[in-house]
Amino acid sequence: MLALEVEGLVKTFLVKRKPEGFKASVRSLLRPEWTEKTAVAGIRLKAEAGETLAFLGPNGAGKSTTIKMLTGILHPSSGHARVLGMVPWKERAALAFRIGAVFGQKSQLWYHLPPADTFELLSRMYELGRADYLRRRDELVERFELGPYMQTPVRKLSLGERMRCEIAAAFLHRPELLFLDEPTIGLDVIVKRRIRELIAERNREEGTTVFLTSHDPSDIEQLCRRAVVIHHGTVIFDAPVERLKREVLTCKTVRLKLRDGARLLEKLPGGVRAAEAGPSAWRLSVDTTTASIEDVLAAFVGHCAIEDMTIEDPPMEDVIRAVYEGKAGGRPAEEGTV
Amino acid sequence: MSTAVSLTGGRGSRIRRAAGIARYVLTCWKLNLAAAMEYRASFFMLAVMMFVNNCIWLVFWAIFFNRFPAVNGWELRDVMLLWGISAGGFGWSSVLFGNYPRIAPIVANGELDVFLTQPKPLLLNVLVSRMSLTAMGDFLFGVAIYALAGEHTLIGAAKYALGLLISGLLFLFVTLAAGSLAFFFGHAEGMAFQLFNGLVALSTYPTDIFKGTARIVLFTVLPAGFISYAPIGLLRRFDGTFVWLAAAAVAAFGLLAVSLFAVGVRRYTSGNRMAMRG
Repeated sequence: MLALEVEGLVKTFLVKRKPEGFKASVRSLLRPEWTEKTAVAGIRLKAEAGETLAFLGPNGAGKSTTIKMLTGILHPSSGHARVLGMVPWKERAALAFRIGAVFGQKSQLWYHLPPADTFELLSRMYELGRADYLRRRDELVERFELGPYMQTPVRKLSLGERMRCEIAAAFLHRPELLFLDEPTIGLDVIVKRRIRELIAERNREEGTTVFLTSHDPSDIEQLCRRAVVIHHGTVIFDAPVERLKREVLTCKTVRLKLRDGARLLEKLPGGVRAAEAGPSAWRLSVDTTTASIEDVLAAFVGHCAIEDMTIEDPPMEDVIRAVYEGKAGGRPAEEGTV
Repeated sequence: MSTAVSLTGGRGSRIRRAAGIARYVLTCWKLNLAAAMEYRASFFMLAVMMFVNNCIWLVFWAIFFNRFPAVNGWELRDVMLLWGISAGGFGWSSVLFGNYPRIAPIVANGELDVFLTQPKPLLLNVLVSRMSLTAMGDFLFGVAIYALAGEHTLIGAAKYALGLLISGLLFLFVTLAAGSLAFFFGHAEGMAFQLFNGLVALSTYPTDIFKGTARIVLFTVLPAGFISYAPIGLLRRFDGTFVWLAAAAVAAFGLLAVSLFAVGVRRYTSGNRMAMRG
């Protein structure tokens, strides 16, 4: 069964153009100039119920605009979409009962009240039966480990604690499809991992379809089975995440800071090259297809006096560039998906 | 899988839906009050300060009427009841539907997103999601004025309640209509704010001091006259024509406001500003 079906979805905005300077401001006041900006340029996409789909792209690619059209927030300029069989912008309220949405930058928790109060409000909003609500709330509190935070005003929670509450709240009414727009933005590695585990668990146990946008390749690797990459408002890649990992996400960056006077290995292990080298700080590129990250770290930790070390995924821009350069062979939008 | 009620078909379904909305609105008001009381000192200070602020204006009018006992037939008691209706009406509407003066910034800053992903009627959901603390003082002031200068009979109380209803709804609908222009013009905050302030200010002066064009304006585009004439046309003597015209004005501005909002939402462009519910 299809969870969503999108055909030729387009969204354009009129943007006021104003050159810099006071004179230009006055001119703009009298004779404003508008240009049409295309945020989404004919997206075509299908997703099966129960899928975990990563919707990727650089800033300004049209990810959030697409999600906003699929949740009924924005009306499209043209095109068609059906989410759970409904047209989002025409059947917004009915659809809202069956979907959930988490925006990393927009909270649905009440800032001055504890999450328990927002959960109460959401139970009324989604018209949950009392017994069902209490059972569901307790289940989510246990699985998301929210017990210590449920009675604390949201303003006093850390970002990680708040996001866990936020995502648990989005699952309260058992949405069939959950839209997550950068849910891990600004979170530390441990919290990110826990949030991914919890979302994956809901997908496994309740069959919730997950539609995720993120700039963090780890979100995609660990949570999603399919990746759709968009750029300039159109789909440029659509394939299983395994292929994206195999063909694009093959490189990790290791930053090393050595103690004073310490020296790096005489010879770098196979699959490792120095991208930047300084007297005590190094940026190394590790090709994970030829060297395991564990072996590389073991080699450095065993032989160098390390003061600090970080491991990073390639930035999304590099992923997009690799897709453009044809390193990954996903299907283009015109051929359809699934 | 979802436990949500069906939104289509059948009278029973519509009744269930209405009951669901009513329960949601009541919970919203309860939580708004709880959120306000998170800062008890600020809550009481703001409410008391607004009460005192209104009292100062009445002292000014008392001094005025001490020198000139009647102005175009208006006496101190009429002006007191005028303030009772104006402040009381503004008070209840801002306590229960506290987001109506903020519609323009909410639209311009893209803060409708979260509301649009929720399954409740959008406009109602936005309006009830905030409660004005200072307005509590206004409402209590209005009730205190009625207790002090109003007609203490069942009919007197009913007429005062009708005055509060007309006044509150006019504040709500006129400001909502002005704020909804933000869907069409972008930054309409300034204009909506000025219109709102104009309505509040003009609704606290006796209608009969305005003549000619100003009076026409007061009963058309900026309908403060339907609030400020209530002490005479509704409380002192029940003028059926005035009351029906006031009801028609409420209906007309209500229709205008709801239509502008409904048409405007189709043009909503969202935004990327960080937002959190207060």
